[in-house]
Amino acid sequence: MAFVFASFALLLLNDQPLLMLGYLLATHAVLRTAGIPWSRIGWLWRRMWAVSLTILLLWPLFYAVGEPVLIEWWRIRVTLPSLLEGLTSALRVDALAFAVFVLLVSTDQTRLVQGLVKLGLPFEWGLSIAIALRYLPLLDGTYQTITDAQRARGWSPERSTLFERARAYVPTLVALVIAALRLSDSLTRALAARGFRPGHPRTSRRPLHMQRGDWFALAVSVVLLATAILLRYVEL
Amino acid sequence: MADAALELLNCSYHYPGGVRALEGVTCLVERGSWTALVGQNGSGKSTLAKLCNGLLRPQEGQVRVMGDPVGDRSVGDMARHVGYLFQNPDHQLFASTVRDEIKFGLRNLGFAPADREERLREALTAFGLDAYVDHPPAVLGFGLRRQVTLASLFALRPPVLILDEPTTGLDWGRATLVLERLRALQLRGHTIVFITHQMALVADWADRVLVLHRGQLLADGHPGSIFARTDVMEQASLAPPPITELAQRLSHIGLPSDATNVDALLRSYIALLPQAEEEAS
Repeated sequence: MAFVFASFALLLLNDQPLLMLGYLLATHAVLRTAGIPWSRIGWLWRRMWAVSLTILLLWPLFYAVGEPVLIEWWRIRVTLPSLLEGLTSALRVDALAFAVFVLLVSTDQTRLVQGLVKLGLPFEWGLSIAIALRYLPLLDGTYQTITDAQRARGWSPERSTLFERARAYVPTLVALVIAALRLSDSLTRALAARGFRPGHPRTSRRPLHMQRGDWFALAVSVVLLATAILLRYVEL
Repeated sequence: MADAALELLNCSYHYPGGVRALEGVTCLVERGSWTALVGQNGSGKSTLAKLCNGLLRPQEGQVRVMGDPVGDRSVGDMARHVGYLFQNPDHQLFASTVRDEIKFGLRNLGFAPADREERLREALTAFGLDAYVDHPPAVLGFGLRRQVTLASLFALRPPVLILDEPTTGLDWGRATLVLERLRALQLRGHTIVFITHQMALVADWADRVLVLHRGQLLADGHPGSIFARTDVMEQASLAPPPITELAQRLSHIGLPSDATNVDALLRSYIALLPQAEEEAS
């Protein structure tokens, strides 16, 4: 968790594209060293590339500052600094996503929530976060099944305009919301049936204690945070 | 083959991540038949069904529907030929009324307004949903939600209907209503493919069984002959219906071990009685 906070500070306080690129390479190295397969890393890239490309393309168009001018046509003006800023922002979004990804793939969700509760988060909130994280893949699977079910009835999202396309997704999104509400309702009842009562004190079977690895991770995070502040505010 | 509604020729399908769902499956479903697709969870039943309506494409082999290869045809196009009922009704229902829910597929497939109304009326009556036509389907009970999804499929009247456990969670009365409606469609020439774990339903309704095991076709035949094959039943972790089990236990006195209903067993038993022998002589 400290690593994520420090990473966010590093990435948000600085605006050098090389730093973003370096951070991305470092997280990829960490992930590969931890045995995370390329297919799983590729899963995140498949979800990020469209966002990154949008930022990269739109940023220079809406924020055309500085010199030299690379393209000037009609009202469109693209400059090198704006292009670099767009690149930095796109890489920053990817790097932020990978910072969270490193946390999620390296930490068991239960332990993660236990850690948050240890830091003072109310248990009910922690449980909500744990359930939300655990059910995200399930919802993804449900969405796929719903899409298949509607396609099997001749539904097709391909439309000419953006508005029509957005409207075409109503059958799948409404069905998803209904399925999610039903799921949450049955889950709430199942929790209540097993004695879960918000607001009541509860015991902990495995209280968390700082281990050697935790201290090491904390030290790395502090170094990261210090580096972020140094790079941002201290003239080297 | 001209009489085939569905043909799978050496079809294989592997899910991303390497899960081998189907491996070289070749089978044929005759037009107008009622075929049960059985096997353990994960044996490949749903994958096979999804190959038939284009939701999945085989990595090897070919699928033909009503004689034509599925090839690159879209799922929307295939919906005219193959109706697919998903296991969970909540994965389909979204409209604000039962009327709109049933009409959704009809609109997608471009039926004329008059035709849509006529099909809607027939579907509502067939599944006893007239009283619920203006109700939001999502707030109905499970049995009624299941009936709405069946009515939606029924209204499209595709030549082939694939149903993934359509009677699961239904009481006996509703399950019988559903099965009778399906039988009525079969008698009108539609082909029914029925995925189920309930062997009693297979015995009562199906005229053919395909047994899948670990992505391969383990057996293919009449329900009685499949139930009589203990090696197949054991390998696929299937238990024959009680009446077949009784017939198998009494086979030493001359009863056929492939009886699938009480009437057949009773007829065989009566034929064994000494009086029957005397009358016959």
